[in-house]
Amino acid sequence: MVDVSQHNLVPEHAILDEAGVETVLEEYGVDRTDLPKITRRDPALPDDADVGDVIEITRESRTAEKALVYRLVVES
Amino acid sequence: MTEVSSDIETVVESSRLPRRLKDEVYETIAARGVTAEEATAITDAVEDRYLDTRIDPLDPVGTVSAQSIGEPGTQMTMNTFHYAGVAEIDVTQGLPRLIELVDARKTPDTPMMTVHLEDEYAEDREKAHEVVWDLEATKILALGDISTNVADMLVRVDLNEGTLAERWPTVGDVEEVAIEIADIIEDSLGVDTARDGMVIEFGPEQPSYRDLFRLVEQLRDVTFKGIEDVTRVVIRKEQLADGREEFVLYTEGSAFGDALEIEGVDASRTTCNNIHEIFRVLGVEAARETIIEETMNTLEEQGLDDVNVRHLMLVADIMTNDGTIQSIGRHGISGSKDSVLARAAFEVTVNHLLDAAVNGEIDDLNGVTENVIVGKPIKLGTGDVDLRMGATSREGRPAEGDAESESEAQAD
Repeated sequence: MVDVSQHNLVPEHAILDEAGVETVLEEYGVDRTDLPKITRRDPALPDDADVGDVIEITRESRTAEKALVYRLVVES
Repeated sequence: MTEVSSDIETVVESSRLPRRLKDEVYETIAARGVTAEEATAITDAVEDRYLDTRIDPLDPVGTVSAQSIGEPGTQMTMNTFHYAGVAEIDVTQGLPRLIELVDARKTPDTPMMTVHLEDEYAEDREKAHEVVWDLEATKILALGDISTNVADMLVRVDLNEGTLAERWPTVGDVEEVAIEIADIIEDSLGVDTARDGMVIEFGPEQPSYRDLFRLVEQLRDVTFKGIEDVTRVVIRKEQLADGREEFVLYTEGSAFGDALEIEGVDASRTTCNNIHEIFRVLGVEAARETIIEETMNTLEEQGLDDVNVRHLMLVADIMTNDGTIQSIGRHGISGSKDSVLARAAFEVTVNHLLDAAVNGEIDDLNGVTENVIVGKPIKLGTGDVDLRMGATSREGRPAEGDAESESEAQAD
């Protein structure tokens, strides 16, 4: 299989720990379910990610330096 | 980074500018040779302008984006074929392509891939051609002649030795290739073949004209090498940024997942114009990136490159928000709005109102459209800010003369 994470179009995906999740939700004043989603079958997802985890994505932004975005892992 | 003194650096670094603007400030400062005070003034001015151009809270960004893409859209051609750079490959451009992207069509009108090659393949034309033959679907007509012998009820294939040697460059002996081809015919048509050198013969089990001609028809559709969906490959030499040259392949038809597996294909740079294929193989984030890239390219190709990329980023963000690709429009984003009135205002009004009535839906009037319909202030800009004049007294404080309680703006 091709290593998806090596592709230029795929930014870095990392699982965010609980403490990190709290900080993020606090900062944006949102609930976990308000975050954008990513499906569990997503090929770019880290192998050990499970439904309910929050993924931190480090995008190479077009307008800023690095953009951190968060996606909640959901079933399908 | 260019050279600047350390105290100027502290000033710039402590500003609230993004990296790119900081670098630009450094560049300007270094080029002009300014003093520390001047540098501070410059940085402050840049920071002011930067903070000034940021979006205000409660700004209707979606509406602004819609208009910013919609207006240039009126100047786009209704239909253009041909791809800038590779004249031989037809690619849908202009308005049809833009519509196709925001509608998130399952397959684009003209699917194509841009296949980059790994180093040794990219520099050597022979090696690059190996990849071409692995990509392009090879049908029987490209390999030799077919003839039917009606008397003996046989289909006869005369393979062209030269073509075989060319298309299977890694196999030394042409005989082997002929055997392979005979095997493929047996597997896909379910017949027994007889091979003699470059000639392969086979026929239907029972003598029948219909079966004989059916076999010929089927034989034409069999793919002997390459990827079924890739009908044509164009090879092009391109200049790299550092002055080197490399071969890049452009394909008509796409099979992104399969193409990445082929030896010699650079799996980190190869792309495709089908956002769903990208989504399947590389995930939502890559799909988002491709939506931005493709829409921007479509606009640029039409000379509309002054559309700010932020608008396209917003579109891509919304399309990929739920982890899959949703279309903008009745079947996607607009159709999944919470408000009945908002949905009804968009398209197929009666259906939405009827369905809502049958299901007893309730409209909470939170969005813009529904509030315009009922004539209430919309919750955007000043419409979402309450201004309260200090008339009530607070405990332990005099009601009058207290500056703090006089006015209080509150956003909820």
